[in-house]
Amino acid sequence: MPHIVKSTILSAPSNAVWAVLRDFNGHDRWHPAVAASTIERAQTSDKIGCVRRFKLRDGSELREQLLALSDLEQTFSYCLLDTPIPMFNYVAHVRLLPVTDGDRTFWHWESRFTARPEDSKRLTEMVSEQIYQAGFEAVRKHLSEAV
Amino acid sequence: MARVYVSTVVNGRSDRVWARVRDFNGLPNWHPAIAESRIEGGEPADKIGCVRDFRLRNGDRIREKLLGLSDYDMFCTYSILESPMGVENYVATLRLTPVTDGDQTFLEWTAEFDCAPDREAELVGNIGGGVFQGGFDALKRSFGG
Repeated sequence: MPHIVKSTILSAPSNAVWAVLRDFNGHDRWHPAVAASTIERAQTSDKIGCVRRFKLRDGSELREQLLALSDLEQTFSYCLLDTPIPMFNYVAHVRLLPVTDGDRTFWHWESRFTARPEDSKRLTEMVSEQIYQAGFEAVRKHLSEAV
Repeated sequence: MARVYVSTVVNGRSDRVWARVRDFNGLPNWHPAIAESRIEGGEPADKIGCVRDFRLRNGDRIREKLLGLSDYDMFCTYSILESPMGVENYVATLRLTPVTDGDQTFLEWTAEFDCAPDREAELVGNIGGGVFQGGFDALKRSFGG
């Protein structure tokens, strides 16, 4: 089972980063791969179990469900429901931790999924670089522009 | 119960930083406040339950017991058996996590303990800002930032 772990340090307090990340329906405002995001059934984006529908820049669509969200721990978890990509049982966890030395943020993003053996390497690289690493850079840019 | 949380980033790969801090008997090698350390009973320093008896540069003596050590998850948990600090039920954990975006390591040092209410702020400040941050600063210096 592929296991992806990516992490970075952001030069902003964790509360500021969390304010950006906690909106499960707000990723279209910062992630370059996401063109549009909506929550199904008009639910609020912090209701556990809500489903977001992403339209990606390449035109494909996917649905993801919020599994857990904690303002205290600054964490959230979600899974993929439908996607045109041959990934299965995808569950991801995002976690922020304060770097007290310098008021920065440690951002940890990890996931596990299943895939056909011939797809594993390509999908791991795609998620690691185009989703996670690109997300890190996008939020870094988003935060510096917000100041 | 009082809580201390201090974290930092060191410019070195986590396996190298871990190699520096995993030795439960090795505080004098990297922490500037510690003068000398020994493990009681001639036990190995990575035997869970072993006790380190160390002396600070200010003369204080502290005995601490190793409760948990994981090379896989890169953490070390220990409790204070004896100290002049006036703390009870003191349990601390030093944990390392790799930063994949660059060869850096995220370090967290946490402690929980009971103490007299009027001493809590002072102890939290001394342990977090003094002992833990002092160790982090030394590690950052030795790894170049």
